[in-house]
Amino acid sequence: MKDVTKSFFENGKEFKVLEPLRFGLAERDFVCVVGPSGCGKSTLLRIIVGLEPPTSGQVLFEGQPIRADNPQVAMVFQSFALFPWLTVQQNVELGLEAKGTHPEERQRIARKFIEAVGLTGFEDAYPRELSGGMKQRVGIARALGIEPLLLCMDEPFSSLDPLTAQNLRDEILQLWSNPDLPPRAVLMVTHAIEEAVYMADRVIVLSSRPGRMVAELSIDLPRPRNRKEPEFYGWVDEIYSLIV
Amino acid sequence: MSNSHENVGRAVAVADFRSMAKVSVGQVLGLVEAIDEVGGVADVATISQEVDMDLDRLGPVLAAAEFLGLLTVEDGDVRMTDLSRKLLSASVRERKAILRRVIDDIPVFRMVLDAARQARRPLERQEVLDSIAARAGSHQAEDLFKALVYWGRYVELVQYDSRAEQLRLRSPSK
Ligand SMILES: Nc1ncnc2c1ncn2[C@@H]1O[C@H](COP(=O)(O)OP(=O)(O)OP(=O)(O)O)[C@@H](O)[C@H]1O
Ligand SMILES: [Mg+2]
Repeated sequence: MKDVTKSFFENGKEFKVLEPLRFGLAERDFVCVVGPSGCGKSTLLRIIVGLEPPTSGQVLFEGQPIRADNPQVAMVFQSFALFPWLTVQQNVELGLEAKGTHPEERQRIARKFIEAVGLTGFEDAYPRELSGGMKQRVGIARALGIEPLLLCMDEPFSSLDPLTAQNLRDEILQLWSNPDLPPRAVLMVTHAIEEAVYMADRVIVLSSRPGRMVAELSIDLPRPRNRKEPEFYGWVDEIYSLIV
Repeated sequence: MSNSHENVGRAVAVADFRSMAKVSVGQVLGLVEAIDEVGGVADVATISQEVDMDLDRLGPVLAAAEFLGLLTVEDGDVRMTDLSRKLLSASVRERKAILRRVIDDIPVFRMVLDAARQARRPLERQEVLDSIAARAGSHQAEDLFKALVYWGRYVELVQYDSRAEQLRLRSPSK
């Protein structure tokens, strides 16, 4: 991210959403972006995955300006974004279809990532037959299926109940700890500070709109992290005080 | 006498199995993880506060976890078991294998699996519902069927085509 800004224009009036932002992601980085509601977190991800152009500045990917159709960046949505008339297998294969993968290969890769997210057995189930956590697992399998270098997730747990959310966080961290699986870096947006401290190597704190970077913190707690420990709470409190 | 005892035992088992129709694998595992995090034992009120879920929503998850042998509930205290400790340290695939053994042993489940094995053809949804109703009463049949498909898929014993409404056995991936 190189001095990226974003404004929306309505009736000739400028509505600033993001102040110049600059940060980088390295190999094996798990970065969380936190900030108050409406500060531009989702907009930031949409710019990075190429769904939205920046107003100024550039997003560089391995030194080159990122393309909107860059298959090395994948996105997981809060709302799961599944197609209800497609089965789990078909939903996961969809990302690969767009990439032009051969049908047999598509099937093999989809099965591999369905297995990785623990959904083997549900290949021919439709989204309505799944629990919320399983729907999000399909979203994750679809994103991982395209074997992205960077995985972006926009509040992936916020429409799940607390138990399901915690279980899925742990399983995502388990997947992440396997370096043989994609991606090579994760950028996750959340408004839950505890969640960011639980998962991230680094936390980027944005101010309220227009979002600017207030702090960038390296969470050096060992994993698996215990949310009951004072060190954990120290980080959570510090980030809270930066936001309010 | 012994016969009526057996029936009582079965009725309880069916009622608890029905709680499994209301909860997901993720919720059950999430609850076990939460109890592990507070040291393996806690009272129900503490857990409810800890996981930020009221007792109405937590109740079925607790019942299902207890039914699966993952937790014990006694005098309001919820405790982890050897089985749930084993489960937490297991990989995704091992977790399925552990729960497969438990689920395979549930009488209603066993009944349907045996029927499917003997039939050597896919079972129609309606025949499965009928045999569940004959055993557990028709008012529970839909819930039990739903639980059977959901958990059966999870442990990779059941394959269900909801378009054709046909259920068949599947062999777990190795
Ligand atoms: N396409 C658009 N046109 C005009 N304004 C927009 C557009 N998209 C977003 N906005 C505005 O930009 C601001 C930032 O939105 P964004 O969704 O990025 O925030 P957020 O940090 O993700 O919020 P939340 O925490 O609620 O998800 C909001 O005020 C929103 O109304
Ligand atoms: Mg948002």
